[in-house]
Amino acid sequence: MKNILAASAAALAAGIAFAQPVPQGYPADYAQTIAGAAKEGKVVVYSALDTKAAQPLIRDFNALYPNVKVEYNDMNSTELYNRFIAEQASGQGGADVMWSSAMDLQVKLVDEGHAMTYNSPESPKLPKWAVYKNSAWGTTYEPAVFIYNKRLVTGNEIPQDHASFVKVVNANLDKFKGKVTTYDIEKSGVGFMFVVQDTKYFPGMDDLIKTFGKAQYKVYSSTGNMLEKTSSGEHLLGYNVLGSYALVRAKKDPGLGVVLPKDYTLVLSRVMFIGKKAQHPNAAKLWTDYILSQRGQKMIGSDVELFAVREDVDAEYTAAKLTKQLGDTVKPIPVNAEITQYLDQKKRLDFLGHWKSTMQAGK
Amino acid sequence: MRASATETFPRAFTILVTATAVLAPLSLIFYQSLLNAPFFDAQKAAGLDAYRFIFADSDFWTAFRNSFVIAALMTAIAVPLGGLLAFVMERTDLAGRRWIEPLLLVPSFVSPMVLSFGYVVAAGPVGFYTVWARELFGGAPWGIYSILGMAVIAGLTHVPNVYVYASAALKNLGSDVEEAARVSGASPFRVAASVSLPLIMPSLLFSAVLVFFLGFELFGLPLVLGDPEGILVLSTYLYKLTNKLGTPSYHLMAAVAVCIVAVTFPLVLLQRHLLKNSRKYASIRGKAGRLKELPLGPWKWLALGIIGLWIFVAVLVPLSGIALRAFVTNWGEGVRLADVLTLEHFRDIAEEPTMMRGIWNTILVGVVGGLLTVACYTAIGFATHRRNDGWSRFVDYLVLVPRAVPGLLIGLAFLWVFLFFPPLTPLRSTLFSVWLAYSVVWLAYGMRLISSSLLQVSPELEEAARSVGAKRGRVSRDVTLPLIRYGLLGSWLLVFMIFEREYSTAVYLLAPGTEVIGAQLVSLWQGGAIDLVAALSLINVILVGIGLGIALRFGVRLRD
Repeated sequence: MKNILAASAAALAAGIAFAQPVPQGYPADYAQTIAGAAKEGKVVVYSALDTKAAQPLIRDFNALYPNVKVEYNDMNSTELYNRFIAEQASGQGGADVMWSSAMDLQVKLVDEGHAMTYNSPESPKLPKWAVYKNSAWGTTYEPAVFIYNKRLVTGNEIPQDHASFVKVVNANLDKFKGKVTTYDIEKSGVGFMFVVQDTKYFPGMDDLIKTFGKAQYKVYSSTGNMLEKTSSGEHLLGYNVLGSYALVRAKKDPGLGVVLPKDYTLVLSRVMFIGKKAQHPNAAKLWTDYILSQRGQKMIGSDVELFAVREDVDAEYTAAKLTKQLGDTVKPIPVNAEITQYLDQKKRLDFLGHWKSTMQAGK
Repeated sequence: MRASATETFPRAFTILVTATAVLAPLSLIFYQSLLNAPFFDAQKAAGLDAYRFIFADSDFWTAFRNSFVIAALMTAIAVPLGGLLAFVMERTDLAGRRWIEPLLLVPSFVSPMVLSFGYVVAAGPVGFYTVWARELFGGAPWGIYSILGMAVIAGLTHVPNVYVYASAALKNLGSDVEEAARVSGASPFRVAASVSLPLIMPSLLFSAVLVFFLGFELFGLPLVLGDPEGILVLSTYLYKLTNKLGTPSYHLMAAVAVCIVAVTFPLVLLQRHLLKNSRKYASIRGKAGRLKELPLGPWKWLALGIIGLWIFVAVLVPLSGIALRAFVTNWGEGVRLADVLTLEHFRDIAEEPTMMRGIWNTILVGVVGGLLTVACYTAIGFATHRRNDGWSRFVDYLVLVPRAVPGLLIGLAFLWVFLFFPPLTPLRSTLFSVWLAYSVVWLAYGMRLISSSLLQVSPELEEAARSVGAKRGRVSRDVTLPLIRYGLLGSWLLVFMIFEREYSTAVYLLAPGTEVIGAQLVSLWQGGAIDLVAALSLINVILVGIGLGIALRFGVRLRD
């Protein structure tokens, strides 16, 4: 009796594994990918998004593919890159999927041949700028915002665009001295990428840097610190803060205000690619397709509280809503080789040098 | 012949393993500093580019100067204060010394990361105490985000390092000279300043070198307090290089590490030299039959005041800050405490598998790892015990080396070893990697604990065993080991607490399976998850507190 039960349970399990339907609109041979993934049993994801935030995605993916375990490793974006190249060099495959907000580092890895070329069936649904060489995909749509302390900064002290950020701080220098914050661009790759983009769109950038110097601005390598210290009143204004985190915190924290700059809003998109030497290539494809799918994107736009990059997704946080709100002032940073130019050592040091001297000049 | 082979083999093996564990990662760092790209990069080339870069970088020199200033200032604060506290605790009749002493040692067992974070939330510009002070007195005249602020905090929290050496030296001092001074009408503090403390000068000097050198290695404190202001010290400069060029600059980081070692290793050697001398001093002490406690009289209020103030600033302020922050959703100016109380952060930790694993791993690495570590240290101790040959001296110096390298970089070097040394690769994502790195980093500290236990066994007991024909191994196993077992148990507890406290070494080793609280704190702090940092810090403090409680309960001496 026991044996029969066990046998039928096994048959049932096998049946589930094989009967896993190919998602709608996918090619029929996708069934092989699904079966292959089930055999591989797991996918190793390296990500800069912390595990807690990614939990809804992992749970939903597991509901969809119960046979594929997600081994999710979060670390900061630099660490992610360091670990990946060290593991590649040592020949010990680690990551199947890389997912990072350091867009430039991700593109660099793709250019250096570390990514698998994969014709994702979801690719055509993404905006053109978010697909790179059929190897890397922009998965989110996260604006760079201003933040302020709601208790202590009110009325027209709240900057609405980049120019007024400069004006407000200069006009109330006593109040804002030591209380303006942004990323430490020497430490934060994201912060660096944002200001490089700023120089493209904002002609008054040098004034802004000088103002930072004048106001003795405070720098951090992470978003959380800026949110915490602005909320507490230790700082009053924050510049170029990753909006996805800021908006989530602002929802719970009555002390924190968020502004989407009116003149232009930079948008970062977390880049995902599959490692060329991935040990679980099928599972990696499944995971990537899931993240790019409508279901995954909906989750990103709701429970994960990042912004969905796909236009055809309805959720609380989506690219579509942001575009509707801001029109064509939204400037997504494209996933392409242009963003890697500042990884050139000399160019980068020159940029940092200019930043530093301009900032000093303001003091 | 065969007997001698079985006698020398375990010793040779122990020395070989120790030397490999210490020298492999360090030579990797040195080698890396002489390249122009990561050592595993196909396009690397040898050269001095890395040194040229950092020597041309003004940030490096600023960081160097800041490190020097902070180290000097904190020495200037910690040494007199530690000496004074030791005098009051050892030589006077102050009431309540028994329960004051453990409090004096608390800062040396709390992670500097936790302490610094505690200062931010307690005494930062909008910290709890700052806000209260402003409400009560209309002002809070302290700024902890400055070189001076950091130096004061570092100085105050390093008082225990001075205290343990000063008080040990004072214990060995006869009280006759002090009494002579008292009889001639000197006040207790005059006695301390003109008689007792000068007599233990070698120990004070020794601890001054120690504190200065610890100052050069500060990481958590400047990371938390100095970074936002852009105040760099050498270790945070090194950390910053991880990202300055956009991609990892291991060669630059390694070059900075070599520069740090160039400063600290001579200090370590100097320390060793001083220690030898101070022992010489101690051996020519007067034979005081009894130690008479100096009556403090009305001065006791001043003494209590100093001790109380120090405990308040160095222990209560940061720890209460952490405790408070762990239970509130947000804080700052204009926030009413009662509105923001919550248990949410602890629930978050309980729901987060990596956090729970981190806590569990931290306990595991402290309890089981600590036991293994003590076993290894004991083996090394036996390899050099009562043997005055070249190998023993080699090991003596060997164990000091890792102390001179910042833990952050030793961790990175161990990551490389585990990645590129095939026999170890399967162990990379296991707690073993963290345990090994910890054991190497704390080698010098641990060996002091072990050898002080070993030295308490007087040689005639071992000689008796040998004279009836027992071999070395047998003597160690059946005579020495049983005699030092309580000392080893105490060492285990101390190693447990040190491992709970450690943070920088595991930063680069952090991976699924190797999470420990210390490294998670650095990572979470960088990521800005302040709520979790506070809650996890409190858990860390509680773990250390449990260790401390057990140690006190069983009368373990909290120092070597």
